[in-house]
Amino acid sequence: MDGHDWQLAAFLAGDLDAADVVRWDEHLLECERCWRAVRDDRSGRAAAQLLRQPAPAGLGDRVRLAVELAAAGAASWRQPRRAVRPRRRALAGAGALAAGLVVAAVVLLPGGRAALPAPVAAVARYAQTLPPPASHPERGTGRGAVPIEVGQPVTLAAGGRRIVTRKWRMGAAEVVVAVSGRPFPMPPGAQGASGGGMAWSARAGKLSLYCLNGKTSELVAAPVPPAELARLAARLPPP
Amino acid sequence: MGGAPASYVGVSGVGDDHRAFLDATLPHVDVVFQVARHAAGDGQEPEDLVQETYLRAYAAFGSYRGENTRAWLAAICLNAARSDARRRRRRPQEVPAQALLDALPAAGDCGAPDVADVVIAGLDAQAVSRCLALLPEPQRVCVVMMDVAGYTARETAEVLGCPRGTVLARVHRGRRRLAGLLAEAGVAHGRP
Repeated sequence: MDGHDWQLAAFLAGDLDAADVVRWDEHLLECERCWRAVRDDRSGRAAAQLLRQPAPAGLGDRVRLAVELAAAGAASWRQPRRAVRPRRRALAGAGALAAGLVVAAVVLLPGGRAALPAPVAAVARYAQTLPPPASHPERGTGRGAVPIEVGQPVTLAAGGRRIVTRKWRMGAAEVVVAVSGRPFPMPPGAQGASGGGMAWSARAGKLSLYCLNGKTSELVAAPVPPAELARLAARLPPP
Repeated sequence: MGGAPASYVGVSGVGDDHRAFLDATLPHVDVVFQVARHAAGDGQEPEDLVQETYLRAYAAFGSYRGENTRAWLAAICLNAARSDARRRRRRPQEVPAQALLDALPAAGDCGAPDVADVVIAGLDAQAVSRCLALLPEPQRVCVVMMDVAGYTARETAEVLGCPRGTVLARVHRGRRRLAGLLAEAGVAHGRP
């Protein structure tokens, strides 16, 4: 790029003073090469502007959620850490999960604003983006419906761990299934659903939560009553 | 842009710094997305890059002095894209310009096309995107920053850490080259 081209770029950017602009206007009337360069510049700019498109709906919410989870994770590291029980046996099947949930006494966390451990809070926060089943009555009750995975897995970072979450739709209901390599801590006041801390269940606001600890820890969350969550969880494919 | 869900569970012990961060940065998510769309490497979703950008920005928010938020976010986005490319330890897929032209019907013996006669608006965005990808990276980044994302030359210079005159030269060369590539494609498409 020679000095002439640099001046042309400055002319196109509106950087030249009035006298230089007049000189360039006159020059462009006579110089085919420069006139062509100006037209190419404008054509290229117009073409590039075709690529503008709005951000996908929900991206702002997703970013907000990620930042809030990061903030929650940072806060959890500043708090005394709870000891977690070691895993004692392999992850049971979905049927066992359902059975455990049905017999579990469910603890309502007061006001839906309980001090959930950061990894559990992260999953709960994500599950709160799910629509309530009543939002999609056209999809039916979900009884007998085949589980359909919705979207792509989302990895959350909270409490110093990575949690892989998947959304499943079964009829009108959607659930979040979160899998972590470390057990999800039991929230204060939650109810153990089986011996030895293998499983626990809780309520957080409108959400039902159920956790089953095995080789991996699996946390299921949905804005449905506990019995409904049990029914849905029983039909989920194995992780 | 929706806020937190009405039935927000709440997370104990979280301060308000992230709210200040979100107030300052979330209005720019659209423009950051424009940059991310063209900075994301193979196998990386632009939405993931935007999220990574915001997480990095949040981590650095304490040292941010607030000169130009959207320029700051763009710089982080470009750095995050480069980091991801390094992490994946694979070069970005490059398509030689000739390969694109070879894929089109022969343009025959006609002379050099007059770019301005090409109906740019008739080209679909996908074709523009393909041709944009053929530009050398310095030109491509400047075109994306200024013409796609809407940054000024001064902001682009701040993001890239180079003089404003360099940005103007790069964007000018990039636009001309982009127009040239599109003209080639447009002429070829227009022939029987």
